[in-house]
Amino acid sequence: MINPRNPLWRYSSLGVLMVVFFAFLYIPIIVLVVLSFNQNQTATIWTNFSFDWYKTVLENPNILRAAQNSLIVAAVSTVASTVFATMAALGMAGKTFKAQNAFNGLVGLPLLVPEIVTAVASLLFFLAIGLELGLTTVIIAHVVFCIPFAYLPIRARLEGLDPKLLEAASDLYARPWQAFARVTLPLLLPGIVSGAMLAFITSMDDFVITFFVAGAGATTLPVYIFGMIRTGISPEVNAISTLLFAASLVIVMLSFFISQKK
Amino acid sequence: MGVSARASKRTPYSATRRAGFGVEFALKMTADANALVIQNIGMVFGSGVGAITALEDVSLTIGSNEFFTLLGPSGCGKTTLLRLIAGFEQPSTGSISLYGQHLEGLMPFERPVNTVFQSYALFPHMSVSQNIAFGLEMQRKPKLEIQKIVADMLELVRLTGFEARKPAQLSGGQQQRVALARALANRPKVLLLDESLSALDAKLRKEMQLELKRLQLETGITFVFVTHDQEEALTMSDRIAVMKNGKLEQIGTPTEIYDFPRSRYVADFIGETNFLTGIAEANGLRLPDAQLLEVLHSRPLGANVDVAVRPERAQITQEGAGLNAVVREVVYVGTDTVVYLEIAAEVFRVRMQNHGGAAKIVSVGEQIKLVIPPDAVRVLEAES
Amino acid sequence: MKRSRMLGRYALISPAAMLIFVFMLLPMLLMALMSWLEPGQFGGVKWGNYTPEAYVKFLFDRDLSDVLLFDTDYLSIFSRSFQLALVTTVLTLLVAFPVAFYIALQTPKHRTWLMLLITIPFWTNLLVRTYAWILLLRNGGLIDSSLHSLGVTATPINLMYTPIAVQIGLIYAFLPFMVLPIYTSLEKLDWRLLEAAYDLYANRWQTMRRIVIPLAAPGMVAGCILVFVPALGTFFIPELLGGAKTLMIGNLIQQQFGVSRNWPFGAALSFALLAVVLTFMLIYALRFRGKGTLTQ
Repeated sequence: MINPRNPLWRYSSLGVLMVVFFAFLYIPIIVLVVLSFNQNQTATIWTNFSFDWYKTVLENPNILRAAQNSLIVAAVSTVASTVFATMAALGMAGKTFKAQNAFNGLVGLPLLVPEIVTAVASLLFFLAIGLELGLTTVIIAHVVFCIPFAYLPIRARLEGLDPKLLEAASDLYARPWQAFARVTLPLLLPGIVSGAMLAFITSMDDFVITFFVAGAGATTLPVYIFGMIRTGISPEVNAISTLLFAASLVIVMLSFFISQKK
Repeated sequence: MGVSARASKRTPYSATRRAGFGVEFALKMTADANALVIQNIGMVFGSGVGAITALEDVSLTIGSNEFFTLLGPSGCGKTTLLRLIAGFEQPSTGSISLYGQHLEGLMPFERPVNTVFQSYALFPHMSVSQNIAFGLEMQRKPKLEIQKIVADMLELVRLTGFEARKPAQLSGGQQQRVALARALANRPKVLLLDESLSALDAKLRKEMQLELKRLQLETGITFVFVTHDQEEALTMSDRIAVMKNGKLEQIGTPTEIYDFPRSRYVADFIGETNFLTGIAEANGLRLPDAQLLEVLHSRPLGANVDVAVRPERAQITQEGAGLNAVVREVVYVGTDTVVYLEIAAEVFRVRMQNHGGAAKIVSVGEQIKLVIPPDAVRVLEAES
Repeated sequence: MKRSRMLGRYALISPAAMLIFVFMLLPMLLMALMSWLEPGQFGGVKWGNYTPEAYVKFLFDRDLSDVLLFDTDYLSIFSRSFQLALVTTVLTLLVAFPVAFYIALQTPKHRTWLMLLITIPFWTNLLVRTYAWILLLRNGGLIDSSLHSLGVTATPINLMYTPIAVQIGLIYAFLPFMVLPIYTSLEKLDWRLLEAAYDLYANRWQTMRRIVIPLAAPGMVAGCILVFVPALGTFFIPELLGGAKTLMIGNLIQQQFGVSRNWPFGAALSFALLAVVLTFMLIYALRFRGKGTLTQ
């Protein structure tokens, strides 16, 4: 492979670009995190290191309820979307059949369509069928757009599975369901876990669709934060934003390390 | 059937091993019952215009305790036939029976037959022991019995101590042996091996060939082995079935196949061969350059006949009787010297064993006499 | 036996397929339908009457005597959105390509870590990341006060609520979306091709132009779509950073469901946006059949 030390593969100007690039990417986040610990209210003058804002945030009942809603929605959506996605991936595996292309298109739909279009369409749909906006509508919408995120890693993992392994299992007297339980499922598990984590993050982070289909009392954390920002900058926003960022970060790293392990 | 390796010291296999393989084993029991009867098997994939006929009217019987090889180039149908025996495909026509029991309609997990795959197909998430134990667990054998069998198997393939390793931590040769152990643990009536040695490097391959032979002798299980390597087939087999384009060309023991090939294809596929063609006469063949090749034959006079001669059966002499030929090239390959001659506008190779230095000193362009003993000439079947 | 197999497979796929069909596909058709209705008094729609009013509203305004006057307001919003999305796509492409190329050159171990660094912003909350820019851009914010204290500016500069702010926010949001697919393409690149090019007297720039870029093209196209489409329909980035002065399609749509109380119009706008996106998709599918980088 390439030896980066070889001058043939050295592009010196790129090094500078990379530094600028990562600085651009991370400085705003770092600023946010740092300021959240700033005692001072004005958010630009640094006075003291303080956890005050975190305390305020964690004692705010509205925030806590929003966080609880987010977790409930994310948990239910993750479980449901992962289960359906796993089933779908298993159904799609193997010899090609006619409906496969249609399903691929269907599964890609939530990824390709702009979120606002999905949000509006969902809102109108719920209105038309008379479903009241609330936690249920949020969960339904989340399950739908989490399915592709769970599906892709599982599908990828399934495709990497050697079909000869299943033949070997059959050759060694395993019935189809035994082969599934003892060979397919264990090997698929990293993909399923990865998919579940992606679904969870996507659900936790979603704003636009939730904004449109959440009723009163079904506010999730991103929607609540948006409301806070709308009313003005305050250090509490910094704190809660940092918390949300930290949560996403933890899950991303976990998902990453799990997918690295073969 | 004793499966443990301890028996190896008592069986006469060590004696036969020292005697060298490729020699008929007088000590080995000849097949007394037919393990596999394959009757008029046909296999067609797909339908209509794009249909592929993988096998056409193949019939053969494989005896018990036999090392049987299916030999042929890729696409000849040998792997397809193996998969039909294993149960991964169902034949389009014909039947396969195992000790009298018909196998049609039976799923792989319903057949007392096990397979060693070309890519080994070891379960990557299970340890060596778990892999070997898998088939036994599926058969609901008691735990203690499984443990014993696994230990015996590991000893048989000489991998004791590797119980907890994962396949990824094993070398190619070790993976091969685990795959073997996993299959043999189930004491199948027939063991199927699908080009199992092709992924190994040359030296390891030769070692494994001997190993496989040893295992078959020790366990007494019928081995059906698929390969495209004719040397490998000659080394290990009790009998070989040469296949071409989905049909059987010839079945026989290694010496039968090598010394008495029936068709041009078999003669060409197995080992090196020289081909000559001529008009049949009373005493032999009249070659295109009017020389007479002496051979005993039963062809009608005046017919076109093809014959095959192995390079090591012919000799070169400067004086005396023989066919006139011209030396075109002399190639020294260490163990032998190969002399390329031109006779009757054909290339004829003569292979001579070297005993210190080149066997024969001839120069390019020299006119020499080619001596072919009449019993070394194989009359080939007319191509249909 | 084969029949039951197929049935089993359809059964496995159907929950996911049904969910997406019922709650995404159907609603979009419904949305198209509802754009032909009249707006309700307090939001919502009035069923019954069908009118093309929503679509008329897009191009025309009715004055007091109900005469149609050509109105460019909404068109200008659409064009601004296109502009912003286009600039975002181009700029992210120009930055992402060298970045992806650099990462692809590194050793596998370094590549993993670098990609992790890019993946983190990709999967963390976009709202939070955009909010961080408010902290930087506003009056008295970090950029303003830094420049001030460095003596570069005397008076506070106004960065918030400008198209520039929205543009920066868009680029910031979508950079990772461009890097990932391009990197996927480059990762599969056979570097021996570059060696062959050098051997045949091509210099580095020529090799880049004639070998690397064409081979990375599928990834670049995928990235462009992954950036352009969401950028076009983005809602809260212009909302937070652009304010009333920099409306994009997203804001406009949201307004119809908020203060403007014209749901059918919102539906019509959404449908128009969807139609534009689908057109691009169709062009992509027809021209670049078989390049599967989009689903990475």
